[in-house]
Amino acid sequence: MTPKRLLPLFVLFASLALLVSACAPPPPPSAPAAEAPAAEAPAAEAPAEAEQVTLLWAFWGSPEEAKTHQMVADAFMAEHPNIKIETMVEPWGDYFTKIQALWAGGDPSVIPDVLFLWPTPRYAAEGVLENLQPWIEKTGYDLSDYWPALLESAMYNGDVYGLPRDIGLEVLYYNKDIFDEVGLEYPNDSWTWDDLVAAAEKLSIPGERYALAMEGGKYQLWVGQNYGSILDDMRNPSKCTLTEPAAMEGVKFFADLMDKGYAMRDADLSQAGGDTAVFLSGQAAMIIQNSSRVSAFNAAGMNYDVEVVPIPKGGQRSASAGGAAWVMSAASDNKEEAWTFLSWLQSTDGGQRLYTESGEIFPALQSTARSDAFLHQDKPPANRMAFLIEGENAKVGRFGYFPEWGELDGSIISPAMQRIWAGEASPEEVLPALCEQVDAFLAEHGYPK
Amino acid sequence: MTVHVSTPTGQAPTGLGRWGRLALHAVLLTGTLLMITPFLVMLVVSLIPQEAFLARDFSPANFSLNNFAETFRQVPFGRYYFNSTVVSVSVTIGQILVSSLAAFAFARLRFRGRDALFLLYLATLMIPFPVTLIPNFLIIRGLGWYDSYPALIVPGFFSVFSTFLLRQYYRGLPMELDEAARMDGASSLRIWWQIVLPLSGPVLAALAIFVFQGVWNDFLWPLVVTTSVEMRTIPVGLNSFVGQYSTAWGLLMAGSVIALLPVLVIYILAQRWFVEGITLSGMGGR
Amino acid sequence: MTLPSEHHRSWRRWRPDQQWEGYLFILPSFLGFLVFVIAAVLFSLGISFSHWGLTGFKEWAGLQNYQALLRDPVFWRALGNTLFYLITIVPSQLVLGLAMALALNQALRGIGFYRLIYFMPVVTTIVAGAIVFRLLFSAQGPVNSFIEGAAALLGFGVEMPNWLGSTRYAKWAVVFLTLWKNTGFTMVIYLAALQGVPRELYDAAHTDGANAWQRFRNVTLPMISPTTFFLFVFQAIGAFQLFTEPFVMTRGGPANSSLSVVQYIYFAAFRDIRMDKASAMAWFLFVFIFIFTLIQNRMQQHWVYYETSE
Repeated sequence: MTPKRLLPLFVLFASLALLVSACAPPPPPSAPAAEAPAAEAPAAEAPAEAEQVTLLWAFWGSPEEAKTHQMVADAFMAEHPNIKIETMVEPWGDYFTKIQALWAGGDPSVIPDVLFLWPTPRYAAEGVLENLQPWIEKTGYDLSDYWPALLESAMYNGDVYGLPRDIGLEVLYYNKDIFDEVGLEYPNDSWTWDDLVAAAEKLSIPGERYALAMEGGKYQLWVGQNYGSILDDMRNPSKCTLTEPAAMEGVKFFADLMDKGYAMRDADLSQAGGDTAVFLSGQAAMIIQNSSRVSAFNAAGMNYDVEVVPIPKGGQRSASAGGAAWVMSAASDNKEEAWTFLSWLQSTDGGQRLYTESGEIFPALQSTARSDAFLHQDKPPANRMAFLIEGENAKVGRFGYFPEWGELDGSIISPAMQRIWAGEASPEEVLPALCEQVDAFLAEHGYPK
Repeated sequence: MTVHVSTPTGQAPTGLGRWGRLALHAVLLTGTLLMITPFLVMLVVSLIPQEAFLARDFSPANFSLNNFAETFRQVPFGRYYFNSTVVSVSVTIGQILVSSLAAFAFARLRFRGRDALFLLYLATLMIPFPVTLIPNFLIIRGLGWYDSYPALIVPGFFSVFSTFLLRQYYRGLPMELDEAARMDGASSLRIWWQIVLPLSGPVLAALAIFVFQGVWNDFLWPLVVTTSVEMRTIPVGLNSFVGQYSTAWGLLMAGSVIALLPVLVIYILAQRWFVEGITLSGMGGR
Repeated sequence: MTLPSEHHRSWRRWRPDQQWEGYLFILPSFLGFLVFVIAAVLFSLGISFSHWGLTGFKEWAGLQNYQALLRDPVFWRALGNTLFYLITIVPSQLVLGLAMALALNQALRGIGFYRLIYFMPVVTTIVAGAIVFRLLFSAQGPVNSFIEGAAALLGFGVEMPNWLGSTRYAKWAVVFLTLWKNTGFTMVIYLAALQGVPRELYDAAHTDGANAWQRFRNVTLPMISPTTFFLFVFQAIGAFQLFTEPFVMTRGGPANSSLSVVQYIYFAAFRDIRMDKASAMAWFLFVFIFIFTLIQNRMQQHWVYYETSE
């Protein structure tokens, strides 16, 4: 082999080696960033001169939703010329993967200062979130305006780590045309489970129309209404309580609706495109869902309204108090400004009103919900008070507020419940075994703590 | 160099009569129907508005090209297209060169530690990606490549899969070719470039399409290592149509159809090379 | 992965004059391997023996992550599902892919069109493909309607399952999606291999009076066996690591019935923020695949034919 012949090969190697040379030893995960921090750094070092500070703000959403967020950011910047908001928008599906990679990298120049996050306790337990309690106390931020129990979804060890943007309360949506066609009176706030079943019998047409469509994952609504619960304590559990009569009845009520053909099976529902699709197409006369569907139904010009969810005789209203929250990264270099932004986002005069007016959320703040921004939008549904009634009675119960909840629910509880919703097993068959598994999981992870 | 005009070298003589051909056509057409139905559904969904899809109303009366226009309006697809093209082409060329060199050594050179090293290569193929995603992200960040083309391109140069595939193919080529060339004083590099590479036309073409489409459709890695719109690729744009509460079905499908076209063109081009490559390679002449 | 007895001694012995050349040829690939694979892999091995949080190392865990795994019913469920995917997907893909390649290797009018259609799924975005399959396989969807209609024509009734809502059939829907999506690739690789079979061998066999089946059995199959071996090993590894197809189509449900191990690893890593648990599972799976592949490699001497010189 002559040297001449080898030349191209060496050139190839050399260029590749050059490309990779910078990397020699991969840095340990916690090492500080080698590269110079981005443009925001100088501002961070000299805050006294009131120079412009840049905050990185992350959220998930479609291009359409991103526009609303950008509008909110613009409104904030108009009021606060010294703070510049840069947005980082990722698709919903892998937002969390991306955020986790950024946190694992530990580089404050790329970690967002303010983020949209769920579930807050899981991340707070990892120490990546700023404890907002001192900020709240220092600035006298009003927590009492939040719907009852809502803040608990964003608390960890008794401190607030996030400010929920909205509350995912379910109401009963009903298609007025179908009710008229069947000659049935519209639902009202005194409806019980029995009324629901009676109406369902008239509304459903086998093979053609279901009376009700509701995601299987919302089963806890029935359990809670009947004074039952998933775990004995959703913050610090010691055991699974789904086998107790109150809970069991709630699960059975839902399973019966499906077995009788009144409610759509979970899998059928998701294949049919979810409750939005089946409600729009008239495949389901009623759905039980949060406010996120309103804009789709209005866009389609549907003739519908909402009502509070029927409860059992002697039962309680039990909407779930939970919603994704705005949080602050503990790694932020501009916490003062981040808090200014955060508290502005969660004020009736600021972000809450803008989001509510966009029609995308039911606000976390009661004052916003009672303001014209929500109550008088001149758009359906007419009975917006239903949301407020559910809000006043919102409770902890759908989600566990301890770090391992996502794992417990995602891998054990939800899959087991899916067997019931698929009609493959009865609640009596599934729940005892499920509770054993849940108890074993809790014991393994050292609960109660 | 022998050139077969009608039948390519490797093509088996059909020996099929008229009826045999008809039967084969029948079978292939049935298969075509099975393979193509999902695409027809895709196309239909891309043509109808969201409300019609949700109501499962697929009547042609609703058809329009609005979704296609809307995808471009909502997402900077032009930029994404450019990025996807740059990244996919670079990775394909780089990966095939790098893998081919290594595969040549693994298949046709004799050096100490070769088999042990190859075993190590293969073993790493068995580590699932979720656990290497974050370490690799950390390495990219350590290199200062976050949100840049090198982050999207350079890690793609290395592939156990391609190395393995090419090595299997190279091992199937007669060793006499090398030995004869060495007698004539050819270097290894020359054997690789002038004998082995030309002989591997079909497999390189197949590999090229596969690598290209893999990079073209890859989603998670570009999402994790880029952040600015200027660096994002098509799949990231497509996935933004899948929302928490609702998916923009028509836009997603329209975007997917748009994303599919260049890869199909590449395939059609490469496929031709597939057949011609072997015809001109003179395999029969040894 | 080359087994000592698989090839001839002369080929195995290293040659001093090719020593450095060999290293040079491998260097570019090896650099990438070192930086983007070995580093990450060792990193995950370390994580699997520690308690690891979002921001990094907490404390050493010894074997705790592995022990917890053995007690985790969901993991075993996922492993069982993964084996199901392995034994359904790999053989079907090989047989279908080879059959398609043989058919498309004929000098036939319109062959380019068929080759295009059969390969199209490979280049399609999987998310779009999965959504379409969900539509096709819905309870009253086209697949069920078609089969029911066909059965009715033949005079008997069948009750088709609600594929994605059933713990028994959801896996099958995932298998069909995987076959649709990936068989075209197997076909193309086989097509390339078939093109490499020297024509004289067929001519010689033809002269010897071999019929089509004998030619296939005695010429084609042995000549493409290295490719078959490659595809088998690679597809088995791919099936063990099946992720995207069930992830986008069923999310592992219902009731974890279609959950694959790598999906569970992904959930552990990015949903539950348990990188330590995820890494332990990854290494457990690694050992499993490794043993499986070693066995395959042992077996290959019985059926893989390498054309190597004496």
